[in-house]
Amino acid sequence: MSALVASLLKVAFIGLLYLFLWQMARSIGSHLGADTPSMRRNRRRVGELVMVRSDTRAGETISVTDAVVLGRSPEADVLLDDPYASMFHLRLTMDGDTMSLADLGTTNGTYVNGRRVTNPVVLNAGDSVQVGKTIMEVK
Amino acid sequence: MSRNAEAALLAGAAVLAALGISIVRVAGGESPDAQTALTFLVVALAFGSLHLAFRQWAANASPYLLPLTALLTAVGLVEIFRLDPSAAGLQRWWLLIAAGLGVATLAVLGSSGTDLLVRYRYLFLTAAVVSFMLPLLPSAWALGGVEVNGSRLWLQLRLFDTTLVRFQPGEIGKLFLVIFLASYLASRHAALTSMTRKLGKLSMPEPRQLFPLAIAWAVSLVILVYQRDLGASLLLLAVFAAMLYAATGRAIYPLAGGGLFLAGAVVAGTAFDHVQRRYDAWLRPWDDFADTGYQIGQSLFALGSGSLTGSGLGLGRPDFIPSATTDFLFAAVAEETGLAGSLAVVAAYALLVAVGFGIALRARDPYRKLLAAGLTAAIAIQTILIIGGVIRLLPLTGITLPFMSYGGSALVANMVAVVVLARISHEVAS
Repeated sequence: MSALVASLLKVAFIGLLYLFLWQMARSIGSHLGADTPSMRRNRRRVGELVMVRSDTRAGETISVTDAVVLGRSPEADVLLDDPYASMFHLRLTMDGDTMSLADLGTTNGTYVNGRRVTNPVVLNAGDSVQVGKTIMEVK
Repeated sequence: MSRNAEAALLAGAAVLAALGISIVRVAGGESPDAQTALTFLVVALAFGSLHLAFRQWAANASPYLLPLTALLTAVGLVEIFRLDPSAAGLQRWWLLIAAGLGVATLAVLGSSGTDLLVRYRYLFLTAAVVSFMLPLLPSAWALGGVEVNGSRLWLQLRLFDTTLVRFQPGEIGKLFLVIFLASYLASRHAALTSMTRKLGKLSMPEPRQLFPLAIAWAVSLVILVYQRDLGASLLLLAVFAAMLYAATGRAIYPLAGGGLFLAGAVVAGTAFDHVQRRYDAWLRPWDDFADTGYQIGQSLFALGSGSLTGSGLGLGRPDFIPSATTDFLFAAVAEETGLAGSLAVVAAYALLVAVGFGIALRARDPYRKLLAAGLTAAIAIQTILIIGGVIRLLPLTGITLPFMSYGGSALVANMVAVVVLARISHEVAS
């Protein structure tokens, strides 16, 4: 094996190692920075949803800090005026920059982008959330 | 990073392993053969099945743990293959077993999660103590202990005068002990934090709160000193102090741990010949280079001749270092990939530990916090102890380099630890 090939292979192996680490370090860096507890306090964001289709509240905005429960019950944080909604229908949680949605075991279900959710899901901007006939969009 | 990106990086690690094996073959004047394909397949199969198990039972788990583990395992396999192809063949089997046990662990934790471990915590304590004791079984028995290099750590299964398999039960024992300590400390959290006694300027908790812990610590330490494995006993003590510190945030625990350790180290140095020899080799390797200083001396030569980018895989002489595949694997990697390659390895460990502590930070209940911190601390401390030993920063302790060294028991134990960490991160995220 010539010295040139040996050097090339050596550099290729080490280069691949660093490429791998670079990929990891880049996404870990943003991930760790995003939601360690101390930073979470400083960088708490407010999540927002817009009522796209609703009998009575179309165009209104729902702000989410910490956790908000939506439902047909007057005791829910946000009233869902929809006959198909359960009394306590779903919970929205803000954790750092991430908003997640949990269906509270409802009869008619919650649909995110047209798919019924059973486990908690993370919401991204532009996702649509449907409860009965009501549709909300994540801002 | 998504699960798909994780899968892509795992495939990358398998490619890296295959590339490394091929380079070793080419450097030896041969062409890549079945070994290359086999290593690629085994790494892909082991981490592929773990990946699928993550999707099934821990869908929200941190996607960073597996790729880093795969990277370290791949580099380890390459260097083991370079030093001893038959050992690499065995290690491939161990990797498959470790992945299988990892998948099984996820499946068992699948429904009730890590809370399951709390329910059986005293079973884990018993299992830990039994694991440490097993090597003391008489060597003549079919399942008996063996003494290797002055330490009685091995258990071997012998049938008809052939050794079927050798195993270090203590590696798994450490894992069990961390699991026990996490649930125990979490339930005693408040009592351990309230410092009611004063000792000079230091506050102390009620002594009786510490009694069961002192027993657990003393038992493991006595067993380990009796088995004469200073490294493992130091590791246990350090993990122990780290977990107490994580549980309470009180500096007295690591301080007391450090004091106990220094006392133990001095006593061990005067009481045990083989410990004294290690101190001599550490402080004065060139005084007796032909004998006690030979191993560490060869390791230093390897590090030095590796220089910046190394000799290239298969082109150095790491085979000069005694037991290069186990204790001194890091020196072999450093010789053949140089400072660049060995720093990459250290960086991979640093990232893995950062991810582990990140999981501990994000956990909301003390039990999961402590379990994640304990498992991460165990990996971190092992890495520091053995790399420190190899570069002569610390006295050499016979501890394996997690995921990289040749050795099935350690690979299995560390893999299960990573899987439990992943499961915790899944529970924290969902």
